[in-house]
Amino acid sequence: MVDLAVKASWPDATLAAFPGESLGAFSAAHARLAGAGYGGEVPRVFATTARQVAERLGPQVALSLGTVTSRVAIKTRPRIAAIYLSTAASMSRDMDESTFLNWQAMMLGLLATAPESVLPLLERMDMLTGRLAPQALSAWIDTGLRLAGRDAARRLAYFRLELPEAQRLLERHAGDETFQSLERGLEAFHTALWGRNVPLREALPDPSGRAIGRASFAAGVVQLPPSLPGHGGNERLLYRAALAHIGAHFAYGGPCFEIGQLKPMQIAVVSLIEDARVETLALRDMPGLRRLWAPFHNAEPGGVATAPSLFTRLARALFDPDFPPEHGWVAKGVDLFNAHRERLADPAISRHIGNLLGNDLGQTRVQFNAKGYVVQPVYRDDNLGLWAFPDAMHQPPAEQIEMPVETRDLGKTDQGGATDHSPQPPADDPPDEAIAIAPSEPTDGARVTQLSEYDYAARIERPDWVTVNRYDPGPGDPRFWDKLTQRHAALVKRTETLVRQANVGRRKRLKRQSEGETLDLDAAISSAIAHRGGQTPDHRVYQGISAPVRSIAVHLLLDTSLSTGAETGAGSVLDLERDAAAILAQAMEQLGDPLAITAFSSCGREDVRTVLVKGFDEPVGMATGMALSGLKPAWSTRIGAGIRLAGRTLDPVPTHRKLVLILTDGEPSDIDVPDPDYLVADAKRAVQSLTVRGIDCFCIALGSPDRQRHSEIFGQNHVQTFENIRALPEKLTEIFFRLSK
Amino acid sequence: MTQTLDAWRITEQPAYQASNDEIAYYTAAYGARLPVMLKGPTGCGKTRFVEHMAWKLRRPLVTVSCHEDMTASDLVGRYLLGPEGTHWQDGPLTLAVRFGGICYLDEVVEARQDTTVIIHALTDDRRILPLEKKGELLTAHPDFQLVISYNPGYQSVLKDLKESTKQRFCAMDFGYPDPAVEGSIVAAQAGISDGLARKLVQIAGKSRNLRGHGLNEGASTRMLIHAGRLVAEGLTLRQACSLAVVTPITDDPDMRAALDAAVDACA
Repeated sequence: MVDLAVKASWPDATLAAFPGESLGAFSAAHARLAGAGYGGEVPRVFATTARQVAERLGPQVALSLGTVTSRVAIKTRPRIAAIYLSTAASMSRDMDESTFLNWQAMMLGLLATAPESVLPLLERMDMLTGRLAPQALSAWIDTGLRLAGRDAARRLAYFRLELPEAQRLLERHAGDETFQSLERGLEAFHTALWGRNVPLREALPDPSGRAIGRASFAAGVVQLPPSLPGHGGNERLLYRAALAHIGAHFAYGGPCFEIGQLKPMQIAVVSLIEDARVETLALRDMPGLRRLWAPFHNAEPGGVATAPSLFTRLARALFDPDFPPEHGWVAKGVDLFNAHRERLADPAISRHIGNLLGNDLGQTRVQFNAKGYVVQPVYRDDNLGLWAFPDAMHQPPAEQIEMPVETRDLGKTDQGGATDHSPQPPADDPPDEAIAIAPSEPTDGARVTQLSEYDYAARIERPDWVTVNRYDPGPGDPRFWDKLTQRHAALVKRTETLVRQANVGRRKRLKRQSEGETLDLDAAISSAIAHRGGQTPDHRVYQGISAPVRSIAVHLLLDTSLSTGAETGAGSVLDLERDAAAILAQAMEQLGDPLAITAFSSCGREDVRTVLVKGFDEPVGMATGMALSGLKPAWSTRIGAGIRLAGRTLDPVPTHRKLVLILTDGEPSDIDVPDPDYLVADAKRAVQSLTVRGIDCFCIALGSPDRQRHSEIFGQNHVQTFENIRALPEKLTEIFFRLSK
Repeated sequence: MTQTLDAWRITEQPAYQASNDEIAYYTAAYGARLPVMLKGPTGCGKTRFVEHMAWKLRRPLVTVSCHEDMTASDLVGRYLLGPEGTHWQDGPLTLAVRFGGICYLDEVVEARQDTTVIIHALTDDRRILPLEKKGELLTAHPDFQLVISYNPGYQSVLKDLKESTKQRFCAMDFGYPDPAVEGSIVAAQAGISDGLARKLVQIAGKSRNLRGHGLNEGASTRMLIHAGRLVAEGLTLRQACSLAVVTPITDDPDMRAALDAAVDACA
């Protein structure tokens, strides 16, 4: 029985929320918080929150708040514990019991790994739960923890949504359509509509970090906002509307307008008229575009006559003939525009009408704030592409270009100060050159694609987690093939014989067929005998030749991580990989089987470095040899990414068998992954995902079999280990022949 | 057993609207009995053109649609087993050679390469067809002509004509007709108004913009006629385009969405 004194100390609402024995437990929890020295706020908020939670989800759930609150207060600050409680109260409003308990467990988990991130997360919890389902929220938090790793400042930036990735991942987890997810379809839409293939780019956030809300175009490149928050569910339509509008500028626009003496307001009005002009022309050609654009014109005819409001109204009035132009200025704009309908093809009318309207508006003393002005409706571009701005505004920031020059100049001045120094031509100065090349290396890769990666701990596959960059091979040896033939004369000969034998077996004669090119005489005779003897003859009397039985494509992956530089006695591991690949390439070329060769290494998930030595449609030639000989051992091994990339290139190849062959000398590792199991699990998952698509993976592991985990990744029968690496060039082609049977 | 080509004669005029000088070209090539190769994307009117020319020249037309399992015997003929033993059955090509018709091998690159080699002796000045299995050397009828069609759009390393085959033919390049001509073809064939036909042609233009950018081929004139017929049956333009153009042309969801949006913009 609960003490009467305890009962008396609580208001009726609390008593009702904690019936029977639970009141004692509640009272004890409250007393613990009050006596722990967290100050007065925590127990006060606890009393209210616990009551609310108990009313909604039952007393047991409410009591669990007590322990979590203490943990928050201990690990962070009592103030944050109070915030936690008020957040919990608002969370309990829309959650059921188990969801709420899971939410608490998630917060406890975060408290253990990243206590500093609890506050920013709590501050954004309403927004986050509004956009993300519970599982998605937990996945977004997990992803953030993994992304930032042990870097507390980075974690903080993630949960404050200051990292661009945080925002992007949030959109992805929320299921919002972003530019990235729609890019391909948008590109196709634009090409279909306008017959031009214009590069579409994701706009970078401006230096202040503000989100970009409008499309933009300049110099034939279209920039679109990376995402469209606030247009959930309509992103695709809005992006399309923006592209259709920009396409109309490309199709019907003239050369850029000169700014001359125009004021910002006049520029805005001229741009508005130009927008209406190109749209009117586009609508003549494609009337259905009206359906696409109309939903975004939502201006009302009346209201306060500020400049932005008048602009929006005029935009709508010019687009929508039924819109009542109540304001005199809007009506004048419509009249002027209609008066020029005969000459719509001439961009000069935009400038003419815009000037007149701009002057009128200037005289009415309507204020125009050029800085805060955003073009309306939302699908229209920022109009910067219409104007020829003075050159200086389009120059990229100069520091980037000048800095290296400056440093070098400084160096020269210093050297000049030394009395005995004589100037040297730069070519005679190798250290200088090496320095000049080295820093440029990480940036010269071209981004090819992004791949997913599997996180075995979270058991999710993270989309677009790994970035694959393509690098040009280093300077190679044009005489590679000659030297190869010298090095492996006997082997090359033997392979040729093998190939010839393989060729012989390509077509098969098929006897006793019901269809075929020629009569199978034996079958015909026995049929005739059966026929004459009064029996039912066998109708399968033809013979034919089977279609070619070989149909195999191979993507050979060469591990070029730093460890492949190790010496074996017959050159480095990479040297042997190189020769093996070259001999295989020659053999497959003679057989006519498609082969691609990619060398891969990695430097963190942001930079999986690939060198395309040979594509499926390239013949084996001097370029292949040079690319092979130009490979250098460096960086680490992210096998999963290599496998996924190879799988992706094999998908469209029209052969019956598809094979990824991997030459590697060690287990997967990378600088940003401390957990040795992570990349192994990912590679295993990658292999499985390829198997499902009918692509086999086979690993050729070089070096000692101890401690190698390749059979775990590829399966016992899909690994061959060579301790005697020197035999590799010979064995690789043999393995291929075996696998292709 | 067919011993004449009467069954292959075309009695009614196949509608065909010339967009260039192709009729004059073909007439000249036939006059000189030179083999002709028609190149062009699918559904642009190659087969219809041959039919029209066969009708105009009053020659029987033997059409063979080539497929990848087609063998030389399928063209030339083969021995069959009958109640009295084996007997020879002429293939379609042999029939045309023997009795003087136009033999049209549609999509010839689809056929196996050995098939195309048997036409070599027919397409130079020898004009003979050796029937090896029968032991007969068949000299072509003076009226015989060979026509092949070939779609460079599918071109891949695996499927291309041999150089030695290509160089025996006169070639005519077919494209989609000019929008105005194509519009009147679609209007006439589908029985729809000119305005609607023009819209269909505009939509086809949008899809052809995507050729090589996600689509292998744009919408063909044939597709437009189908779509037009569906509209005549009571569907809206957007429904008809979805049924006859967008859905058949690609399985890629992005491309479909883009095409649907483009149809929407024109409709």
